[in-house]
Amino acid sequence: MPDWTRTTLELIVQELQQPVRVDESFDRRVMVRVRRMQAERRPRGAAGWVGAAVNLSRRPAYAAALAAGVVAVVTVGMLRSRPQTVAGSEPIPVQFVLVAPEARSVTVVGDFNNWGLGDTALVAENHNGVWSVSAPVPAGVHRYAFLVNGKQWVADPTAPRAAGDDFGQPSSALVVEGTPE
Amino acid sequence: MNTRTARGILMTALVAGAFGRAEAQDPRIGNRLDAPSRKALSALVDSARAQGIPVEPLMEKVYQGLAMGADGSRIVVAVRSLTVEMANAHRVLGAVATTDELKAAASAVHAGVPAVELGKMKKQSGLRRSLTLPFTVLADIVSRGVPVQTAANAIRSLVGAGAHDRDISEFQRNVQVDIEKGAQPKAAAETRVKGAVTTPAARPEKREQE
Repeated sequence: MPDWTRTTLELIVQELQQPVRVDESFDRRVMVRVRRMQAERRPRGAAGWVGAAVNLSRRPAYAAALAAGVVAVVTVGMLRSRPQTVAGSEPIPVQFVLVAPEARSVTVVGDFNNWGLGDTALVAENHNGVWSVSAPVPAGVHRYAFLVNGKQWVADPTAPRAAGDDFGQPSSALVVEGTPE
Repeated sequence: MNTRTARGILMTALVAGAFGRAEAQDPRIGNRLDAPSRKALSALVDSARAQGIPVEPLMEKVYQGLAMGADGSRIVVAVRSLTVEMANAHRVLGAVATTDELKAAASAVHAGVPAVELGKMKKQSGLRRSLTLPFTVLADIVSRGVPVQTAANAIRSLVGAGAHDRDISEFQRNVQVDIEKGAQPKAAAETRVKGAVTTPAARPEKREQE
């Protein structure tokens, strides 16, 4: 079995072994619902209510089945809510800012615009030396850099560094959090 | 079809065109890559796909190299390195890892973090917690001089304490500022993680909003 398959299975098993956390009113709400169901099947009256409660408490199989159902629903919900759904959300507006009073031009290029190939670079506007541009960026992790005067590569001083300047130039990392679909 | 799916299909088509027949080349690459480099990159992409590794980050690396004026052989070296790093990340994170997690994990591996450390974090955090930002911050602080083990311990502590992404981002900014002010990277990370680990629990009302 490949390592990644074993790792995947371990993670899934680990997730399934997690205790199911429910709020404090869960027991009460479940019991109210169960009693209501029992009441619909039994003759109305005090004897019926008492009988239903006693009946449930004496049959742990019901509780086990209920717990298994809750675990299944919660687990499916967990797996469905994995980060992939976030990655598919709409692009989020991001503002890029670089303070460069001496610059004549500043553009922003990165993974999100194919590093400016095909004239896709974001052109920043100069506000007395504070260059900025806003653009929608897809959720996810991106590398990017500022290109000053069309030739000087500058990392964003306010952002995490992207590890590995493979091409001898600095770059930064941007993590855009999406909103679940 | 969501944005990510559309990007994936587009990227697959571009990969096929970029390194395939000359007449079907990606216009962004055009003739900027020599034939041997195209052939080598094509083989790397095929290899990655066969291993179940997303090829989108590899193409982004090609674009980055071209934009930065690197020659074909240097781009091939960078893409080969990234392929190996992503394969290592994929091995320890499993098929449940997202493309973004793999990309961030590859950065951390590139910075010098052993892949096994990343696997430990994933097992600690479980399926639901995305480690894209923690891995990104890990790569950042290691590249700023924080020793690998100190950095890994710090991020594992944060993730284990239930710190949210904004808490980990704040930790990164604090460490960065401390280092820029002259602090020793190890001391900065060890000191700041103490505050970051205790702070999230002290703000339950803030966490519930997520």
